[in-house]
This record gives sequence, C-alpha cells and structure tokens, in this order.
Amino acid sequence: MTDLQYVRPVRTRPLAKDARPVVSLKGLTKRFGKVVANDAITLDVYPGRIKALLGENGAGKSTMMSMLAGRYKPDEGTIEVDGRPVRFNSSKDAIQAGIGMVYQHFMLVDSMTVAENVLLGQEGSFFVSPREMEHRVGELAERYGLNIKPGERICDLSMGERQLVEILKLLYRESRILIFDEPTAVLTPEETRNLFEALWRMTEQGKSIIFISHKLEEVIALADEIAILRRGRIEGELDPESIESKADLASRMVGKEVLLEVDRQPAEIGDTVLEVRNLTGLGLTEVDLDVRRGEVVALVGVAGNGQKALVEAVTGLTKPPLDTVFIMGQPWRKFFAESTWNRSMCYIPEDRLGLATLPNQNLVDNLLLTTRKGFAKGLWLDKKKAAKHTVRLIEKFDIRPGRIHALAWQLSGGNLQKAVLARELYREPKLIVAEQPTQGLDVSATEEVWKRLLEARSMAGVLLVTGDLNEALQLADRIAVIYRGRILDVLDNTDKDTFRKIGPLMAGIVD
Amino acid sequence: MWEFLIPLFAATVQSGTPILYATLGEMLTEKGGVLNLGVEGMMALAALAAFWTSLVTGSPWLGFVAGGCAGMLLASLHAFVCISCLGNQVVSGLALTILGGGLTHFLGVPYVGLAAPGFDPFDFPLLSQIPGVGEIFFKHDMLVYLSFIIPFLFWFFFRRTSLGLHVAATGEMPAAAAAVGLKPIRLRYFAVIAGGFLVGLGGAYLSLAYTHLWTNGLSGGRGWIAVALVIFAFWRPGRAVAGAYLFGGVMAFQLRLQAAGTHLPSSLLLMLPYLLTILVLILSAWRGRRIDAPAALGTNIEPEG
Amino acid sequence: MLKIRKRDEPWKWGALVVFLGALLFSLAVSGLLLEGQGKDAIYGLTVLWQGSFGSLWSLEDVLLKAIPLFLCSLGVAVAFRMQLWNIGAEGQFALGAIGATWMALSFPDLPRFVLLPLMFVMAFILGGAWALIPAFLKLKLRVNEIISTLMLNYIAILLLDYLVFGVWKDPASFGFPMTPEFTEGAIIPGIGGSRVHWGIFFCVAVGVGLWAFMRFTRLGFELKASGEGARVARYAKIRYGMLVLFVMGLSGGFAGWAGCVETSAILNRLQPSLMVGYGYTAIVVAWLARLEPLNIAFASFLLAALRVGVENMQLKLQIPAAFGTIMEGVILLTVLAGQFFLTYKLVRKPRQE
Repeated sequence: MTDLQYVRPVRTRPLAKDARPVVSLKGLTKRFGKVVANDAITLDVYPGRIKALLGENGAGKSTMMSMLAGRYKPDEGTIEVDGRPVRFNSSKDAIQAGIGMVYQHFMLVDSMTVAENVLLGQEGSFFVSPREMEHRVGELAERYGLNIKPGERICDLSMGERQLVEILKLLYRESRILIFDEPTAVLTPEETRNLFEALWRMTEQGKSIIFISHKLEEVIALADEIAILRRGRIEGELDPESIESKADLASRMVGKEVLLEVDRQPAEIGDTVLEVRNLTGLGLTEVDLDVRRGEVVALVGVAGNGQKALVEAVTGLTKPPLDTVFIMGQPWRKFFAESTWNRSMCYIPEDRLGLATLPNQNLVDNLLLTTRKGFAKGLWLDKKKAAKHTVRLIEKFDIRPGRIHALAWQLSGGNLQKAVLARELYREPKLIVAEQPTQGLDVSATEEVWKRLLEARSMAGVLLVTGDLNEALQLADRIAVIYRGRILDVLDNTDKDTFRKIGPLMAGIVD
Repeated sequence: MWEFLIPLFAATVQSGTPILYATLGEMLTEKGGVLNLGVEGMMALAALAAFWTSLVTGSPWLGFVAGGCAGMLLASLHAFVCISCLGNQVVSGLALTILGGGLTHFLGVPYVGLAAPGFDPFDFPLLSQIPGVGEIFFKHDMLVYLSFIIPFLFWFFFRRTSLGLHVAATGEMPAAAAAVGLKPIRLRYFAVIAGGFLVGLGGAYLSLAYTHLWTNGLSGGRGWIAVALVIFAFWRPGRAVAGAYLFGGVMAFQLRLQAAGTHLPSSLLLMLPYLLTILVLILSAWRGRRIDAPAALGTNIEPEG
Repeated sequence: MLKIRKRDEPWKWGALVVFLGALLFSLAVSGLLLEGQGKDAIYGLTVLWQGSFGSLWSLEDVLLKAIPLFLCSLGVAVAFRMQLWNIGAEGQFALGAIGATWMALSFPDLPRFVLLPLMFVMAFILGGAWALIPAFLKLKLRVNEIISTLMLNYIAILLLDYLVFGVWKDPASFGFPMTPEFTEGAIIPGIGGSRVHWGIFFCVAVGVGLWAFMRFTRLGFELKASGEGARVARYAKIRYGMLVLFVMGLSGGFAGWAGCVETSAILNRLQPSLMVGYGYTAIVVAWLARLEPLNIAFASFLLAALRVGVENMQLKLQIPAAFGTIMEGVILLTVLAGQFFLTYKLVRKPRQE
C-alpha cells in the first residue's frame, strides 16, 4: 500500500459489546421525481467514532446526509436518535437533536464577523452586544483548541480558518454528531492534518463524526468504519484494517475493476504553445511557465493562491502586463486580436454551469457558444448544421440525456463536463487550459475525462489547473506548484520523490 | 449671507425628510436582499391614503399611519410576487410603480385642491433657541423630529438586535441563514413589508406636512431618488441622511431660484435633481466597493426539494 | 401538503394560460374598482369593449396607437433580453420626436420622399444617443442603468418642454406650447382613405427584420447568450461592451422611431401632449410577450386596444385615464405571479404519519 501521510495516534477504541448507536437510519428512502436517490438505507452511528461515507458522485451520499441534517424529508423510513424516532422539518430540528453539518461550500456570511456567524440564530436574546458575542465565541474556540479570532470578518480568513468557523458553529450548538461533506477539498496538507487532529480530539469527547469523501487515502487513515454507497444503496460496511489497497477499496466502491491509475504513455513533444515569462502583477510574482504540445503541465496549489489570476491572464479574460504571456509564439495582445475559433486555445473552466455553459439554453446553443464562428456564413448562423454536429458529439461522448433540446442545467455534473469537453475538443485546440476538470465527478466520469485529456495531447499542450494531487500525478509530465502568486518549483513527474515534495510546497515551505 | 443660508438649510431639512423616510425604507428592504423599485408608486399612494384618512377622521396622526399602511400594502404585493412566486424583482417593482401611480390618480380625483388637517411646524422646546442650529433643525413639524431618530433606530436594529442580524444574513446569503435554522423567506417578507411601511411614511409626509393640499404628481420622482440614494449611502443609514438632505437642499434651492425669478428657464432648473441623481450614481459607483451591497440583492431564493 | 417542484420542461401552453388568466383577473379587479366608485362594472366593461372593438373607427384608432407602442416595445424587449433594464423608452421616444421635429422644421420644403427618411434617420440617431448615455455610464462607470435611464426620462421631457416653450414655439399659437404645424412633406400619409398610415408597414418590416436577426444571425445568438450574463459573454469571447452599446443604441433608436411616427403622422407637430406613456406601457407589452418580436405585435395591439377603450370610458363615464394604467399594472403583476407556474409546479405530497 502506498505510504500514508496520516497516522492516527491511538488506534480505534474497540466498540463495547452493548454500545447503542446514537443515530440510526432505518430504511431511509428519498426520491426526486423518478430518480431514487436513496434506497432503503440502514446505517448506525456510534458515539466517539468516525464513520466515512464513500461512494461515487450521484451515489446518494449528499442526499442521505441532507436528510440527516434536516434539509430534506425522507419519503420512507425513519431516523432514530438515542433509540427514539425523530422527524426533522428543517435543519433547525436536526440541530436541536444534536446533528450538524459542515457543507462543502461554506454557509458563511462574508461581511460579518466570526462571532456573528457562529451565533447566527443562537444569539440568545433580542438585543445583542458584539463584545459579548466575541467573548462567548472566543471561549469556545479556546476550549477546543481552535485558533480563531472572533472579531475578524469572514472575508479576511483563509479557507482552513473558515472551516474552523463552521465547526465552531456546530460545537456551539452542542452537536453530538458532526457531518462533513468533502472537508479537505480546499485545505493544504498542513491544514488537513490540523483538521484531522481536531476531529480526533472531538471523538475523545464523545462526539460522532460522519464524513463524506472520495479521497481514499484519507478515508483509510481517518475512519473507524467505512460505509460504501452505490446507486443509492449501502453496499457494505468495512473495517479499514481489512482493506488491502486503495485499488481494492476503489473497486468495492464502484463495483468494477477501476484503475485509479491511468496508463500514461509519453507523447511526442512539439513546439511551445504557451510561454509565461516573468509575469509580475495581477497578484502574481515572477511567474515563469511553459507548456509544449504533447505534454500536460499541472499547476497545483490550494485554491486562492493565484491560480485564478494566472488562468484569467492566459485565457484572455484579464490583461497581463506587456511581454509576459505568449501563446503559440505570439504576444498576448496579438494572439487575442487575431485568434480564430478553432486551432487556437480553449478554456475549460471550473465553473461548468455558470461560465462554460448557458444554463437555460439547449445543447445546440451551448455548442455554438464557442464554435459559432465555425457555423457562420457571413452574418448568418447555420443552426441546422450545428444541430447535426451536436447529435454526433452527444453520441461520441455518450452524453445523457441524449436529446439536443435538453437544457444545460438539466445535465448531471459528469455529463455537463463531457459536453464542455466535447465542444472544446471539437475546436481542435493547440492549447487546452483545463481547470479542476474532474471536480465533483464520479470515478467513471473522471476516468473518461482523463482519457480524453491525454488523447488530446496528440494535437495540443494541456495546462491542467487542479487542487487534486492525484490527478496531477496521474496526468502530468511536469508539475508546477503555486503559492501566494509565485511558482515555487516545477517538478518532473518521472521523479519518484515528486509525490513527497509537493505537499510542503503547496503550503509554502521551501527547503 | 446667513439670512439667506439659514432659511435655505431649514428648508433643506424639511424638503429632505420625505426622501429620508423613503430611502431608509428601501434600504431596509434591500438589506433583506430584495430590490423594490416601486417606491415612487408607493409614495404616491401613501400620500393619498394619508390625506384621505386625515380628511375623513380629522386626525393627521391617523393619516400618517394610514400612509405607512398603504406603503405596506403595495409592498406586500411585491413581496408575494417576488418571494413566493419568484417573479423578476426589477419588473415587479416597475409594475408596482405603474399600479401605484395609476391608483393614486384614479382615486385622488375628487380630492384635488382640497386641504386636510396636517402637521405644522413648531419650536422644539429649548433646542430651537440655539442660534443657527436651532433654526435649521428644531423649527419643524413633529414628523421631522421623528425622522431624526429613525436613522439611529435603523443602525441599532442592524447592529444590536438579533432580528437585524438575521435580516442582514438573509440579504447576504440566504442559504447560510437557512443552514442555521432561520427562515429566509419570512425574513424577506419582513424586510419588504417593514421597508414598505417606512416608504409609506415618507409619502404621507408629502401630503400632510410638506403641503396640506392634494394635487397630482406630489411625489415628483422622489421615489426614484430614494432608490439611487440607497446606493449612494452604501447601504448605511448615516450616509442616507447626508444624501437625503443633499437632495432636499437642491430642491429647496431650485424653488427659491424659481420664486426669485431668474433668467434660467424653469425647465432647465427642474432638471437639477435628476441630473444630480445621475452624478451621485457616478460618484458612488466610482468609490464604492463590491462588498457594500448585500450580496444576494436582486436574486430570488429558489425552492429546494 | 403542497410542495414546489421545478418542471423538467417549461409548460408549453402555460404562457397563454397565464396571459389569459391575468387578463381576466385584471378585468375582475377593474370591475371591482368601478363598483367602488359607484359605477356599474358590467356597463363600464362593455363601454371598454365597445371603445376598443365596437367600430371600424375604433379599430383604426387601436392600430394607430399600436404602432408607436409596438416600436417602443421592440426596443425594450431587445434590451431586456440582455438583462439591460432600459426603462428609458419614454425619454428615447421624446428624443426621437425632437429629432424628427428638428428635421421637419429645418427643411420644410423638401419633398416627402427625402424629408421623411431624413426625419426617421435623425429620430433614430437622437433616440439611440439618448440610450447610449446610460450604456456608456454602465460600461465605463458601472452605473446602474435602471436609474440612469429613468432620470433621463424626466430630463428628456423637460428638454421637450424647453424647446416647445422656447425656440421652437409657433408664433401663431397664442402662447400654447407647440411647434408650427409640419408641412406636407413631413407627414406620413394614410393608406388609401383610412386613417391608418404607412407606418404600419414600417412596423411589419422592422418586426420581421428583428425576428430574423434574433433567430438567424450570429449577432442575434450572441445577444441571447449575453442574456445569461457578462461573464459567460466574456468567456465565449463575445465583445460584450460592443454588444451593450449596439443593443442600447438599437433600443433607443426604435423608441425614437416611435416618437417620429407619433409626431409626424398623428400630431403633425411637436407638443408636450405627445407624451402619453408609451415608453412605460412598452415595458408591460414586452414582458407579456416574453420578449419575442412576434408576440409583441399581438400584445401591442391588445394594450393599444385597452388605451382606446379607456378613452371611451373617459368620454361616457368620466373615468380618468389612469384607469388604464391601473389595469396595466395589475396585468403585469398577475402575469409575473402566474409565470411561477411556467417553471414550477405544485405537487401534492401525502402527510407523513
């Protein structure tokens, strides 16, 4: 088994024979229209233990947790707390029963302070005093060893600190069961370690933790029990000690042999398609980067360290200083003034629905979004031709539902990403900028996307911007680590030590 | 020179008062995340309601409250359309202005030219004796004195009460409010309706204190100026006062110029407040920061499963 | 227990149902209002109907009012599609009228086939320019266009007053604010013997042209795409700024044409009574028509009919013209509320035991 980064100090306390679950799900079912998101789920959660929920996207993990947290109401089945059935009409009821959830996208009011956010809805009286609120929250943070200043505004905090605020919210409400949805997606390795230690401390105080993750390594290290969800059903529960390898766990999750490792054959390297020379400005400092045809260069870093600025400069959304960005040999201004719709550059953004596609328009219109000049005859647009091509692409990439009149918002994450990919590859680009391309996708969709990106090397160079280390390690030839607007190093992925070096670099540690 | 300026400033305060009520009302609504462009129509209808009530009951105070209620009534239509029916907030507000304006004209016909009991200025004990300041601020009617406290109440509500924090949270991120068990929909209804009440008070001022007569077109664009002033004030009550008095001053000045019989054609003079509004918007956009506006302003809360 | 669920596909006939429902509801409310004023609702509504559709004369009147309304609404719709809230159609209408008048008064002796096009061109230019001001303010200074277009409405009307009371005043008008009457060359003639003028063919041409533009051209597509926001537009390398200017200019130009038509064909001169609120009714029409050019024709006809009918009510029942405004407001609010059902539906869920 590959080296684990996290070692739990004290291995799981063995579960007492007569231990009663603090929360029990019995036959929980939830339907959305014709889709059965959760099918007769039965699960027990014990005090002082960490249960991991593993499953592909669309397996039903978030739905299940949303029911537990009171956001959705189950269609069938019951939830029991301390052996008694309960019904939650809102998240408030769940919170009162001691269940709280920390969402992947933090539910924090940016312009308010930490104290105001933690105490929101729990102020205790009609009249409030900021000083008193900050005092209360400060005490709580100290008790759990969380390093947070209650008077600071959320907009001034880092991601890791914001997560601590979310945790404080739950602790204040004396939640006994804390649910985490993909908690480490936005953390540096250092912050992840801090989080895990905080979680372990909380279990020592008798709290139960449920956490949803697709990061197998963390699941194995952190969990006392692993529950696997597939297509809305619990496939089984495992003891982490019984797992042989990550691949073993992955295959149990998906139910088929899934290689999380992609067979990457080196491709023929061609000329430079992107060159960034000593770029200073827009929040970046002295950035040097180049991408050649046939290779994948990954840009890794924790979200918010300058990736957006670099991507926006490269893709033409913001103007970089003169003589810093060269695309296909041409200076930035010239390239964007003269670029054609095809055989140039394409950008697959992180924000699939709101940026890469028109949510309320159908697939044909979405195809036309970036390829319209290819279907234009003078002033006129040949929509019939575009429709034909859309049909072809839907087939080729297996995009569901397979109707061209489906609206973008109706597509699932994986299908939407495939649609965007299909469109951009249709443009025969020479440079592809892909931002978090597999975020939120299940394993099979991820595999497909990876395959296509690697295929694309035959005609293009790929700049892959990602926070997923595994993705970078699987796909990239070279890995550049960005921290606070600076590229700290560019590592060669053929080097076996690369994996170990990336973590510290992401946190800004240069030795 | 002071003989000219002091009465001008005093007129500024009086002229700015309805704008102040309306601006704070709209600001309350917007802090909850809802844009209500119907202020002009609401003020007009409230002015009529206030006038009629005062005429019929003989009590200007009842009229004042009636004006607020009329504002609340129209605002609740907007609230229903936008919050429950997820209608487009911009268009709904415009519809409200059209409706409010039409209703006012239609129902006000029999009262044109009539006078109703209203509020008259009086000297505030002691404070009106202060030279200068006393004349400017403390020789007005009761509603002006009331308007002095409202900005403070507004500040207090949003910074020192839990309900205020809840409303503000709804305006910034309804999902965050829902996540902690608050009810963003109810909070929004509150913000829109309470804001509508304040706007109505501003309208009532026009027909009960500013004049005691009923005529058409009493609001004269003040409702729109209030909407602009909310932006100018960066959604903070202190600046709203400054803005309201700025416009009050311009309107008072304009009247004086007309009365004094200048050579400038009246049409051009009348343009002043509107030109100033555009100027004020330019300035605000230039110096304002993204974070001033409530982040969820203008968006509707989609229902979830 | 009723729950809200998003529809998988928008309800096809919903738009029509909502529209008719809104119409009926609005008539009911208006009827109540009439009763409240001591007038007989049924009689009042019959007068309304008679006024709009009762005779050939009234139908001609409806068409005559529909023409400027149609043009204004096209302009409003094209801007709204890009989420550019152009409330300034009223002011742009006024500027168009001013532009047409300028040409008519400056070149009274030109033959019609030269003067009329000249008037249309100038009306488009001035109306478009009036809309470009808030467009620039929005692009360069991030000024909210709702308020800037609205303020320009007030300013435009005052400008019109200024001109008509001042430099353009007809010396023979005994102090009434109006320009001298236009010469033959500046007036759009009626078709055959009817009062309906050639402006109606102009409308058809413009309407079809816009429809084709939106449907078949690349710019039309870019317009639709930009309606989802400036970010997507920038992503797709749509020149958003240019598009904003183009759309606002077009929007103002259309409203300007409406002003030109009114001044030339109906009033034959410029005077303050030109401003009857077409610019605001246009917003109602555009929204009712869901911003589609073909529906706008139908909706303009309907709302013009409302205006003509209300005029009849003024005559026969002394009902103030504001009655029509009330109906417009109620219709719009009801349609907005009803449009909920186009995207969502109410589902009955069994109470859990």
